[in-house]
Amino acid sequence: MAKSRALPVDGDQPDRWEAQLRKGALEMATLASLWQGRLYGLEIIRFLENHSRLVLAEGTIYPILNRLKTEGLLTSVWVEAEAGHPRKYYSLTDAGRQRLRVMAEAWDAFSRSLTHLLEPVLKPQETTK
Amino acid sequence: MTTEMQIDSYLTALRLHLGPLTIAEREEIVREISAHVRDSAEESGGSIEAILARLGPAEELAGQYRAGLLISRASRSFSPLVLLRATFRLATKGFFGVLVFFLGVFGYLMGGGMVLVALVKPIMPVNTGMWFENGRLVSSGILFPPPASPAQEVLGLWLIPLALVAGSLTLLFTTFAIRLSLRLSRQWQSRL
Repeated sequence: MAKSRALPVDGDQPDRWEAQLRKGALEMATLASLWQGRLYGLEIIRFLENHSRLVLAEGTIYPILNRLKTEGLLTSVWVEAEAGHPRKYYSLTDAGRQRLRVMAEAWDAFSRSLTHLLEPVLKPQETTK
Repeated sequence: MTTEMQIDSYLTALRLHLGPLTIAEREEIVREISAHVRDSAEESGGSIEAILARLGPAEELAGQYRAGLLISRASRSFSPLVLLRATFRLATKGFFGVLVFFLGVFGYLMGGGMVLVALVKPIMPVNTGMWFENGRLVSSGILFPPPASPAQEVLGLWLIPLALVAGSLTLLFTTFAIRLSLRLSRQWQSRL
């Protein structure tokens, strides 16, 4: 899980580039995990593990949640659970929903155009022969 | 070390490195991370070492909280101190940040300097002003001794309102420029 943190900091290595890419997508993915309803931190982490390949150091998700909350995109509430200790549940605010929708549309357009652009790269045999 | 002690020492380190945040913010974070550790332990039955390792070192985790909060709080602040601290943090991340930091320092010094000149004028009228010689600007500000004749001080008491307005505008402009840069940098970080 902690793999992504062990990356070297220097240069434009592909590893680092990929880590940046994931980091950039993580905020959107975090918002998206709450689209269906409220979840607490560990549930969000498990959700992201099951639905995406954004493998992350578990710790990174909490500062992101905290920041999204300060920005007014999320709200949180402590709920007493049968586990014996309260859990902090997050849900999207209206602003959060709106922001996520904008992000998703931008992402969709962006990835479509890139997929198109990369088509020849991914099929080198056809273009070189 | 017992399990409880391991968790406690992790949370203590976290609390320590969250220093600059308010007590309420800090305790909220510690409470949430502590709930995470307990839930993870119940869910997986794995060792506490593994759970804490997956969270990452307490110092690093605290650093991520601090960076996020500092910049997002600063982009709404008007305090030069808060803003400069945030741009300093930004400056450690790349060229854009370094540029913003130096322009910020420059802007605050310029604006502050002009306001200072306006305030000093009534106290030391002879040493403060804007001096011209043959239609050319020789010097301006607070000078000891003031430029000798034939240089002439041209503004007189007009210096006070002029320097106050120019200084305030410079400070205001600097503040908004920094806030805008912080907001932009956050968008670049979070969106692709």
